[in-house]
Amino acid sequence: MMRRFARRRDGSLEVTLEQPELELIRDLPEQLRVLYEGDHADPARERLFPRAYLDPTEEQAEHEWQELVHPDLLAGRLEALERLARTVEGAAPARRDRVVIHVGPDDVQAWLSVLNDARLALGTRLGVTDDTDVTEVSPDDPNAAIVAAYTWLTYLEGELVETLLGDLPK
Amino acid sequence: MSSTAPPAPPAPLEVQEPELDEVVEVDRPWLVIVWNDPVNLMSYVVYVFQKLFGYSRQKATRLMLQVHHDGKAIVSDGNREKAEADVARLHAHGLWATMEHSS
Repeated sequence: MMRRFARRRDGSLEVTLEQPELELIRDLPEQLRVLYEGDHADPARERLFPRAYLDPTEEQAEHEWQELVHPDLLAGRLEALERLARTVEGAAPARRDRVVIHVGPDDVQAWLSVLNDARLALGTRLGVTDDTDVTEVSPDDPNAAIVAAYTWLTYLEGELVETLLGDLPK
Repeated sequence: MSSTAPPAPPAPLEVQEPELDEVVEVDRPWLVIVWNDPVNLMSYVVYVFQKLFGYSRQKATRLMLQVHHDGKAIVSDGNREKAEADVARLHAHGLWATMEHSS
């Protein structure tokens, strides 16, 4: 399989995608924005913005913590969506109907954030468990398209993480 | 230099009595716990532990495996402010983290 991420010396990345993959990535920011700003009881949203305190006697501390950090957590995620969207706008045609996206050093974490949140949201929707083998879903399954997207995003994020782990001490 | 004048009498020693209601959360740190989830990649969790806490690959991997096999692991500790900040950073990275007082 082709390599999707090429590391440049300045810390930027070049991402090579097929056209349908580009479309999938291009749709993520809007889908995630709707989720971030949507229904607080949505399990996918709850997964992205969980509690800090499980202890019910710490309800006051939990409330204060949420008030303090939630705006920053939300703003950080929205900024990542914008950063990824801007890099995708710059997608340049490459050989064999592919596109190349230049991701500057400051936008690399935004890509990681969007890919990871998209997988968390889709995984929650699909009810993925440790024992789920998503490759076993039949093509007739109404969730087949979501499963395919989840599987591909898993592969893509795995490659990105391997690339980024190379920056950190072994 | 010496002096022939008699030394001043020592000031009475003031004993500071500890005030009982000032006893604060000293010896019981807050623990930051990361819980297992079926979606986050093992490699991603290692990456986040290294990036956020500066852990070695070995320590980050050990903690990730503990989360995976035991369902949870203590990844950092400290006073309430530090634990709250660590939980926020972990949530920003999509990890399922909570904090609790050590018992």
